[in-house]
Amino acid sequence: QQRIEIHKLRDGDNLILGFSIGGGIDQDPSQNPFSEDKTDKGIYVTRVSKGGPAEVAGLRMGDKIMQVNGWDMTMVTHDQARKKLTKKNEDVVRLLVTRKSLENAVRQSMMQH
Amino acid sequence: MEEYDVPSAASILASVKEQEARFERLTRALEEERRNVSLQLERGSLPSDRLVGGTTGGSNQPLAWQQMVMQEQSPSNQTSLAMMQEPQEVVEETVTIEEDPGTPTSHVSVVTSDDGTTRRTETKDNVTNMKVTKMVKTVTTRTVRQVPLGPDGLPLPEGSSPLGSYTDSIDRRYMKNGERFITPQATSTLTRSYNNYSDSYNDAPDSQFRHYTLHDGYGDMADNYGSLSRGVNYRPYRPYMPTGGYRPENSYTLPIRKDDYGHVAQPQVPMGSSTMDLNRSQPERFQPEPYGLEDDRRSLGPDDEEPYDLEPDYSTANRRTLPGRTIREPLRNGPRMRGYEDPIETELIDERHPYIHGMYPAPLAQPERGSLASLDRMGGRRSPSIDSIRKDPRWRDPDLPEVIAMLGHPIDPVKSNAAAYLQHLCYENDKIKKDVRQLKGIPVLVGLLDHPKAEVHRKACGALRNISYGKDHDNKVAIKSCDGIPALIRLLRKTNDMEVRELITGTLWNLSSYEPLKMVIINHGLQTMTNEVIIPHSGWEHEPNEDSKPRDAEWTTVFKNTSGCLRNVSSDGAEARRRLRECEGLVDALLHALQSAVGKKDMDNKSVENCVCVMRNLSYHVHKEIPGAEKFQDPSALQGPGSAGTQRKKKDDAGCFGGKKAKEEWFNQGRKNGEHDKNYDTLDLPKRTEPTKGFELLYQPEVVRLYLSLLTESQNFNTLEAAAGALQNLSAGQWTWSNYIRATVRKEKGLPILVELLRSDSDKVVRAVAIALRNLSIDRRNKDLIGSYAMRDLVSNLPSGQQRPAKNLEEDTVVAILNTIHEIIIESSENARSLITAQAIDKLVAINRTSQSARETKAASHVLQTVWSYKELRNALTKDGWNKTHFQPIPTGTPKGSRSCKPGYDDTTLPLMEKNQGNRGCSGGDMIPMGELGPDGYSTIDQRDKESKYKSSDGSSDLQEREPLKNDTNRKHYIRSNRPTVSLVDACDVKPQPVDSWV
Repeated sequence: QQRIEIHKLRDGDNLILGFSIGGGIDQDPSQNPFSEDKTDKGIYVTRVSKGGPAEVAGLRMGDKIMQVNGWDMTMVTHDQARKKLTKKNEDVVRLLVTRKSLENAVRQSMMQH
Repeated sequence: MEEYDVPSAASILASVKEQEARFERLTRALEEERRNVSLQLERGSLPSDRLVGGTTGGSNQPLAWQQMVMQEQSPSNQTSLAMMQEPQEVVEETVTIEEDPGTPTSHVSVVTSDDGTTRRTETKDNVTNMKVTKMVKTVTTRTVRQVPLGPDGLPLPEGSSPLGSYTDSIDRRYMKNGERFITPQATSTLTRSYNNYSDSYNDAPDSQFRHYTLHDGYGDMADNYGSLSRGVNYRPYRPYMPTGGYRPENSYTLPIRKDDYGHVAQPQVPMGSSTMDLNRSQPERFQPEPYGLEDDRRSLGPDDEEPYDLEPDYSTANRRTLPGRTIREPLRNGPRMRGYEDPIETELIDERHPYIHGMYPAPLAQPERGSLASLDRMGGRRSPSIDSIRKDPRWRDPDLPEVIAMLGHPIDPVKSNAAAYLQHLCYENDKIKKDVRQLKGIPVLVGLLDHPKAEVHRKACGALRNISYGKDHDNKVAIKSCDGIPALIRLLRKTNDMEVRELITGTLWNLSSYEPLKMVIINHGLQTMTNEVIIPHSGWEHEPNEDSKPRDAEWTTVFKNTSGCLRNVSSDGAEARRRLRECEGLVDALLHALQSAVGKKDMDNKSVENCVCVMRNLSYHVHKEIPGAEKFQDPSALQGPGSAGTQRKKKDDAGCFGGKKAKEEWFNQGRKNGEHDKNYDTLDLPKRTEPTKGFELLYQPEVVRLYLSLLTESQNFNTLEAAAGALQNLSAGQWTWSNYIRATVRKEKGLPILVELLRSDSDKVVRAVAIALRNLSIDRRNKDLIGSYAMRDLVSNLPSGQQRPAKNLEEDTVVAILNTIHEIIIESSENARSLITAQAIDKLVAINRTSQSARETKAASHVLQTVWSYKELRNALTKDGWNKTHFQPIPTGTPKGSRSCKPGYDDTTLPLMEKNQGNRGCSGGDMIPMGELGPDGYSTIDQRDKESKYKSSDGSSDLQEREPLKNDTNRKHYIRSNRPTVSLVDACDVKPQPVDSWV
């Protein structure tokens, strides 16, 4: 797991994070290309715009978002997640994400020990 | 078509005898060859080749025939296993037949492996097992059905040979069903294996055909056969004839047998299949009903699942097996096809177009769903036909226009089979439904509803039910446009067949989900549905016999469907409500049914849910819409301190909203005035001399106990929501009865029950309960109690700052809770104090400042302002670190609103998302009265309540009802629940779920 802090980019009235999310408990988890467990209804990063704030902050496509500013994202609807990410009055979003490669690395290290 | 004249009885007889003779010969040969056959089975490929070739291998054919004969002859032989291997496609069918002539029980397992795939259908037949039937059906599908031994008096063939055994076992099963016909199906399966015996086919076909056609144009049939046989070279059917004593009518059935035989002998022979179809006509005995019906039913009634399960197996089985067997044969052999057509179609053809794939008739004719299933696939998503085609290039399923044309076929069984097939095709296939509509199939089906034969109108109704299901309202409109609704109602009055009634009511339920049809249904069917279904099944009696104890409600499918239909139509508006309320016996029966449910502690089923929803909807606006309601209006309101007086104050408040001082004073006064409410406690309920009946029952305080029982006992969220909604509706408004209701809820100890439900996991339940509590708190005593005991649970439902909320409640729910809190603390600094004690200020301020929802922000802001208005509380607040700015409306309030809205729109790229939001926005608009705490909001508490009720009650009911069948409904429902209009619902349906959103 990894913490990522993204500073939103202001574009006129909009604040931009520069990535897109998929998933949520109201979505069909089997269509999520990133999840290992096809019943996982978590929120995943589906796209990251080039040079955008998210990419700069180190967010990667396929990352699973566990928390947004401390809010749990593993049991929320797609829309709820989106709202949490797009609060107008917050210029900074802190994400707790988990990444497959990270997990694998951790797992491997565990195995070694 | 060729002229098929019905062969004379003499000629038929002759052929039969001929066949019998052959039969005997064959039988002997069969015995000998059995062993050979077993060997051959292993070779599978060879036989199949022969079959495929369409050429007849003389030696082989004989064998097949012989076997066939054997079967027929030996009625009760026990199990024989026939393993048939077809070339290319390997189909292994193992059938163990236990032959007890009388006993249907047989275990049949069919394993078909096509191209490496293996499917197993295992049916353990206990004589009456559904499974068995299904199995049989499957088998049948493949073959054409025939069967019907019974008519001739011919016992089912008891398969001495493997094939024979097949048939036998099958037959038995059928027998179980009460139909001898079953056998044919079995035969069909056999056929596959026997494909090798094409030779025999050649001979047989003619004879068989004749048999089939016996009535109609046997001779013709034969001719066709001949032609067919040429093509195919199979004329196996004759042998089957064995029974010789086919009666014309029976002939249909008989033919089937023949077919079976034929099939057995000649798998390829299409003729047989066609004949089979004809036979099917008889099938009534079979009555595959469950299958066909099931399709949509499921959607309708979650309960009916079997169809689904069956279908898949069947279909697969059929596909695979069928190809190998009869079906394949027909397809393969062009000639056969013709032959088929000729015999069967001769008739058909006249009327229709020459589909010339004679095959059609057969498939259609087949009553069994299994066969249908195969067809369905064709039409449907699965590509059964394709599969079969691959296997058997010759095979072709009837196309939709052909099937629809068959609906007009002069032969009733063809009609019913075509309708059953249509039902199958339409199952969960919106495209096919649309095509049927565009091909003008719906008026034909509706026309068949008046058909005197049960089999025909049953099947037609089944097809209509499936067609009427789904989001495509055009299909529903099409049914209505050709007077389908009165036709359904007519049939409902006429028929006593439970299954037909289920189909009718299921169709009506489907139709009732479309707004414009609701009044049509009410106009044509309300009283009939009430008299024919609701009252009898509810157990209610107009004049109860004092000696007999009251009857309980029966939760039949018919009752469930009908109550679902009423639930939908009850949400259509004031006029619909009026009609339902005034429908004689309806309210009485619904109430009786619910009381029965409570008495039996059986409250989680769909029927109860439907009844409660109807009751809730009918309770909406009773205080305005009931005739003579005016009499109860003002006086009580004036008396009620909580009601009228309060309202006025509020209104005034609204007026002076700007001036806080005035406002505060008002509140204080209000509070003081509130003390007077005590009177209410002592309210005496009006005494009645006559028993209440009809719609008056809706708002009698007695119903409170009923709803509270449901709220206590039911596990069904929809029922809980509806029961809470009913109390919400009844406790709204300023009339005598709502005062009684509010007091009765308290006296019946209903408040703790409601508060408990604030902890429900279901968003909509929480919302309905919250609004009910708000209405109930119009009663001063209730307000005090709710303030003391419910505050903590209300607050705990609110989202809190950075902490993860206990539940993720929808905006509407949060707003409802905030409004309820507001209502409770108005005129009650005590309650405001409990609010503070419950540590709500944190949350309220957080919502006020950070919520993305303008409505939430606004609602929270109103609560905060009200709290601050109690000067006596300010000290405590200040100590906690709050200051006035926290409680003031945020100057950026407007900006906030825009803010909240914008993020969604701007940030979300996906149209879908926007849609949802858009919808919400709409609903928000609707909700505004409720949500807005502003002055207006206050003054119009009733209105707000009403609206909220309206939405929750009507809207929700509609939604739920709409797609009673689908599971998804709930979700949609959920979303839509607040929306009053149907259109909203639709939008919801359409709502594609956002796959991905830019942020």
